[in-house]
Amino acid sequence: MPDILEVENLQVRLFDRTGPVLAVRGVSLSVGRGEVVALVGESGCGKSVTALSLLRLLPRDAEVSGSIRVDGHNVLDLSPAQIRTIRGGDVAMVFQEPMTSLNPAFSVGNQIAEVLRLHQGLRGAEASARALELMRMVGIGDAEKRLRSFPHELSGGMRQRVMIAMALAGEPKLLILDEPTTALDVTTQAQILDIVRDLRARTGMAILLITHDLGVVADIADRVVVMYAGAKVEEADVYDLFQAPRHPYSAGLLGALPGSALAQEQAGRPRLAEIPGMVPMLRAPLDSCAFAARCQSATDECRAQAPLLEQVGPGAGHAVACFHPEPATTVSV
Amino acid sequence: MSLTIAPDPAAMLEVAARSDRHWWRRLLRRPPAVIGLVGVAVVAIAAIFAPLLSPYSPVAVDPAHFLAPVFSPGHLLGTDELGRDVLSRLIYGAQPTLEVGVVATGLALVVGVPFGLVSGYYRGAADMIAMRITDVVLAFPYFLLAVGFAAIFGPSLPNVVVALGIASLPGFVRIARAEAMALREQDYVQAAIVTGVRDRVILFRHLLPNMIGPVLVQATLTIPGAILGAALLSFLGLGERPPTASWGTMLADAQQHLFDDPWLAIMPGLAIFLTTLCFNLLGDGLRDLFDPAMS
Repeated sequence: MPDILEVENLQVRLFDRTGPVLAVRGVSLSVGRGEVVALVGESGCGKSVTALSLLRLLPRDAEVSGSIRVDGHNVLDLSPAQIRTIRGGDVAMVFQEPMTSLNPAFSVGNQIAEVLRLHQGLRGAEASARALELMRMVGIGDAEKRLRSFPHELSGGMRQRVMIAMALAGEPKLLILDEPTTALDVTTQAQILDIVRDLRARTGMAILLITHDLGVVADIADRVVVMYAGAKVEEADVYDLFQAPRHPYSAGLLGALPGSALAQEQAGRPRLAEIPGMVPMLRAPLDSCAFAARCQSATDECRAQAPLLEQVGPGAGHAVACFHPEPATTVSV
Repeated sequence: MSLTIAPDPAAMLEVAARSDRHWWRRLLRRPPAVIGLVGVAVVAIAAIFAPLLSPYSPVAVDPAHFLAPVFSPGHLLGTDELGRDVLSRLIYGAQPTLEVGVVATGLALVVGVPFGLVSGYYRGAADMIAMRITDVVLAFPYFLLAVGFAAIFGPSLPNVVVALGIASLPGFVRIARAEAMALREQDYVQAAIVTGVRDRVILFRHLLPNMIGPVLVQATLTIPGAILGAALLSFLGLGERPPTASWGTMLADAQQHLFDDPWLAIMPGLAIFLTTLCFNLLGDGLRDLFDPAMS
């Protein structure tokens, strides 16, 4: 059986007022069945564009090339009708903003039932019963009453639970979570993550988690893909990455975590470290390392050609695109 | 599962949202809107229960009283040149008036809103063509349209309704288009697309219910325009034929007696004026209600 998601050499060009933007530059990615993969990076690194392209949700003028296989089917070749059966069916997606992602004109039960009707063929009482069941699964108390609630009557955490219940309604094999906890307060974040972990254990679905929050990554991911300026710069098992990040960018991200030993070691004082500068917006292909301008170990080599992704240690499946990877010494985080 | 109570700004917003829930209750707190609502209700009741409310038939001739003055015995508002009771004709006249206003507006709404919805959601070439057509309709005097219809099909109420309906179209197309353009960017539309629903469902199930407010406001503000238009067209003899009572024809009939019996003109004129005013007050109240900047 193929992996639930196989992305090969994905390239996305978007167009804004001033011209093309190379949003994704040759990203390959796979998510195994039941696996939790985190896609990590700063704002503007292309992680959300990657996620949107998986369900063909990009603006119509976007140019997408490469291949995206969901359960073996190439998403880019599907007809509009076929892609609709995948959206919300095989692949469900939850967005960042629970406050605005529900339709204010309908009760939440109604909105969950819509997905059930579409993908499970359930109607009326059957759909209501299943919606109730799903709401209980995501930890919504007093579900009978909440079924008839309108979105404005629910808190952000509750709404995000409803969004997850809607995503589960189609019994997806892959759940894409795009910054699912960013808009929530810390206690609610923890509850949502508990629910996600619990659901994954119960349903065996795979999860692709898009986030910039490394705390969330450490919490539930099996494997991590680090993106920078539209390209994959490092991929590793979650333990390997947190123990020994090899790309200077990954190391910088981890160093910027409050309370990490790496942060204190790098800064030489108990202050938060930061990575200077911003993610560049690329309008033309690059013949250097995209991170070179912000990298402390950059050399002329880095500025002359782009590094390719290569397998490195310590763990298996640990790959990095860097001419001068960080040493593989173990740092306690 | 236990829930930790955290100070949550969303919870406070929620409380605010809850008190806003009964929009009609907020409407009733605005005196002008209440006056409008009452006025519209009075006209509607007069139209519906005209046979019960009016003392005479609107076409019954009282040969003993031609041009009876206001407050004459038996005829509270007097009689016209044929001895017909003015009060009865006024009450019956509410029927075609309201009918034209509501039906013409309804026609414009039913055609215009889906048009604007599709045009605003898809944008592109179709949108441009739709907007140019709207501009043409907007620039075309409805009056000429009505005269044309009357010339071709003969003067009748349905012609007036269709002419006024076409004239009211652009307003609905534009409002629905503007709303669709704003709503399509909403997260919940993206979220709905992700669940795999068809475009048709997005348009009519997810977008349409969320634009009811502005469309309703547009409707209440279009009705008085249509009423005025209908009165004008029947005044000019392009609408309903005599002896049918309508405020416009009453006004036309009153022309010859403007000096000897001005009440004949004042009564239907006042009815048109007050009805239009009440619809406008109600529409303004509704608009304030749905405009987030006002509330």
